[in-house]
Amino acid sequence: MRTKARRFTLTDYLALTLLTLLTMLVCLSLGSVALPLDQTLATLVGALFGKPADPGIAGTIILSLRLPRVLSVALVGAALSLAGAAMQGLLRNPLADGSTLGVSSGASLGAVLALALGVTLPGLSQLGTMGMAMLFAFLSLALILSLAWKIDASLATNTIILIGVIFSMFASSLISLMIAFSGERLRSITFWTMGSLSGTGYTQAFTLLIALLLCAPLILSSSHELDAFAIGEDNAHTIGVNVRGVKLRVLITVSILIGVCVSIGGTIGFVGLVTPHMTRLVVGPAHPRLLPASLFAGAIFLMLADLLARTIVSPIELPLGVVTSFIGAILFVLIFFRSRRAR
Amino acid sequence: MSLALALLMLAGILPSLAEGLTLTDMIGRQVSLATPAEQVVVLMPGDLEIVYALDAGEKVVGRGEYCNYPEEALALPAMQSGGETNIEQIVALKPQLIILSKMAQTPEQVTKLEQAGIAVLVTDAQSVAGVYEAARLIGQAIGKSAEAEQMVSQMQAAFAEIQANVPAQAGKTVYFETSPLQWGLWTAGRGTFMQEITEILGLRNIFDDVEGWKEVAQEQVLARDPDYIVTLAMYFGEGPTPVEEIKSRAGWEKLKAVMNDAINNADADTLSRPGPRLVEGARALFDFVYGD
Repeated sequence: MRTKARRFTLTDYLALTLLTLLTMLVCLSLGSVALPLDQTLATLVGALFGKPADPGIAGTIILSLRLPRVLSVALVGAALSLAGAAMQGLLRNPLADGSTLGVSSGASLGAVLALALGVTLPGLSQLGTMGMAMLFAFLSLALILSLAWKIDASLATNTIILIGVIFSMFASSLISLMIAFSGERLRSITFWTMGSLSGTGYTQAFTLLIALLLCAPLILSSSHELDAFAIGEDNAHTIGVNVRGVKLRVLITVSILIGVCVSIGGTIGFVGLVTPHMTRLVVGPAHPRLLPASLFAGAIFLMLADLLARTIVSPIELPLGVVTSFIGAILFVLIFFRSRRAR
Repeated sequence: MSLALALLMLAGILPSLAEGLTLTDMIGRQVSLATPAEQVVVLMPGDLEIVYALDAGEKVVGRGEYCNYPEEALALPAMQSGGETNIEQIVALKPQLIILSKMAQTPEQVTKLEQAGIAVLVTDAQSVAGVYEAARLIGQAIGKSAEAEQMVSQMQAAFAEIQANVPAQAGKTVYFETSPLQWGLWTAGRGTFMQEITEILGLRNIFDDVEGWKEVAQEQVLARDPDYIVTLAMYFGEGPTPVEEIKSRAGWEKLKAVMNDAINNADADTLSRPGPRLVEGARALFDFVYGD
């Protein structure tokens, strides 16, 4: 294996940004309704320079439907992948993810509770769901951490994961109970728990962007501490890392990211688990490179998965969560075997 | 020896000749009853509506939990159905017959109920003709055959009347939606009651190339630009109504149906339940499309 640079250079950032934009363009020009490429480009360039949109169907489809959806998908992919990579580094556990920590389930529980009780904030009806999802992501985290604290004051990784998994099951059973005891209103949640970003608009994309802009720098700036964690918590402590401080910072930012993603798209599995692994095989395990690369890889992976979800059996649309799990699992096995053989 | 065998066979046949009846249900099973059933459990809402339409509500001792029509049926003990079917709960009511559907129940559940000594009639109505067949079967099983024939001919006459009133210039398109955008756009295509009613009304379903209930792409709705939009979403009394929610969607403002305000929030039960109220669903849709 060739040695990999430790830093993520400006060139790396530019290259990955370009690749992400290119993927975005492909995803914007392909869809259930076939539109000529020049029309897509003209519409996008026109919109960029503030020209009034093409009054025809193409302008509406690209600017009102595809663009906000592709943006949301990219941002959710980036957020979930970054959160997954950070969790895996922090817990030194290749299976760590928002779902194994119980944050996703906690957020889902909050969202379902908001729907069941009809919690709405003035202005946007979805704001209630989102607020509750974030609140519950926080609350689950607080509960899991304080339980772990009681059992083992050093917040040992195994304890957190174990409590996270148990809490996940508990939250899922509460959701099932609520669905069982509620009438028609919650039955539609069965669709939602499969994970879908099909109805997302600019509001959701903007919310995701804000969350990512607030949280990503906090996680990215913990790269070196996460590297120190990889050697062991005691070592990290010895070389002067504020172990608990970093843990709390990463866990809280991760729970914000996951709370926002869950409230907007439901539970989209496999992104936070698989993309960081695939990224690690390309850029190596050092977090200063892994974290930013995972951010872009997550966006690209989820955009392509969503492209498949909305085109493969047109005019029918598949749930995004189904597609991510399907291709994610296959890609994971393929890359895993190839990297084994290369060694 | 052969005489004994013949006698034995005769003994077996005689009761059924005398008063027993054997039916073939909608999945091809033989259902034997000594007499038309007097205590019946009905799990599916559509079948229960048929039983009440046959004027046999007093025979029902238990209903499926989702049965909510007619209102008097709500007083009956509610049974869990589908994956959560509780066999003990049903057996405890000691019914002679249980009516359930192929779609919601499993063959294992049918076997268990049979082993408990309850006759099981399986319905599988996926079209209006299927509803007629279910009504006739249920009628025979509960001794209301004449009422069943009456219900079938009333439904046939009602549909014929609706069809006869369709104006000559019909042929517009309709889009059905079963859930708000947030959960993805689910629509009803070929092989649904909505498709059949659409045809009776002289309309075309924009998703007649889709089989059954499916989630479809939003841009396809925009490209197919329906004349009418019918949403089956339930309104829970807060936030925008389903019609307002559709009007507020980005990109939908240019659709013919939105510009002409041709959006209807229809009753999901009368358009999707295999029962006598399909006529009501069709009438309501007729009034929406062709009414003043």
